[in-house]
Amino acid sequence: MSLKVSLLLDGQLAAHEVKDALDETTADPGLRDRYTVYRLVGDALRGNSTPDDGYSIRIFDRIRREGMRIESGYDPLADNR
Amino acid sequence: MQTADQDSELVRLAQAGNAKAFEALVVKYQRRIARHVARYVRHSGDVEDVVQDVFIRAYRGLASFRGDSAFFSWLYRIATNAALSHLKRDPGDLLLGDDAPEERAEAFEPGVSDAENPERTLMAKQIADTIQRALTRLQPELAEALMLYEVEGKPYAEIAGILDIPIGTVRTRIYRAREFIAKRLEPVLGSQRSQRW
Repeated sequence: MSLKVSLLLDGQLAAHEVKDALDETTADPGLRDRYTVYRLVGDALRGNSTPDDGYSIRIFDRIRREGMRIESGYDPLADNR
Repeated sequence: MQTADQDSELVRLAQAGNAKAFEALVVKYQRRIARHVARYVRHSGDVEDVVQDVFIRAYRGLASFRGDSAFFSWLYRIATNAALSHLKRDPGDLLLGDDAPEERAEAFEPGVSDAENPERTLMAKQIADTIQRALTRLQPELAEALMLYEVEGKPYAEIAGILDIPIGTVRTRIYRAREFIAKRLEPVLGSQRSQRW
């Protein structure tokens, strides 16, 4: 299954395989871990060796905390706040 | 699947309300976006705020992403806007007078501040050292495939052409290289597991 995680990360799965692979990955802490570590390896090879010390978790927390929704009329490229 | 649309199915799922698909995209691109933001913004804490803002804007605006460009290109443009918006609100964070913003961005490590958290800095160094050591022990054909993909940015099909191997072999070589390195990183990363996705 870790091979599928690698292919999911690289967009190498057929469209009909993506949802199942995503579901399996997110349901299994070991596979989720592999997804983040494979990404970490790639980032480190490009010169950024930082650990993922909760950066993404804080983003998800903020989305949940602020009750974010996808907004049909919102264009983030036009947002100049 | 082509490189330009390699995220298209994850984006489609996220647009349909699948939060895990969006999280997978965040995990995938957070460091690259942070590095881009760091070209504009001075303080690492502010960089993290801006990066959060980028993904918040992207999430809210997923419906407006039509797939005319790659998802990362869209995210990159949102990041530029968000960084410039931040500088309008806080001009003191501008990198004026910094004659080497590219080098600064190259050295930037999201969430890592040398002065504030030497433990994180040490861990980042341990990760880099472990990966370097693992690369030297990796079978050359596996290392070659991984480097062509991750560092050179070559798509799988092009790697298959360069190495004169089937694309299925590219897939397994890249996977086996990652797995080899991941196993050697486990002792370094073990304590962090609860903080990751």
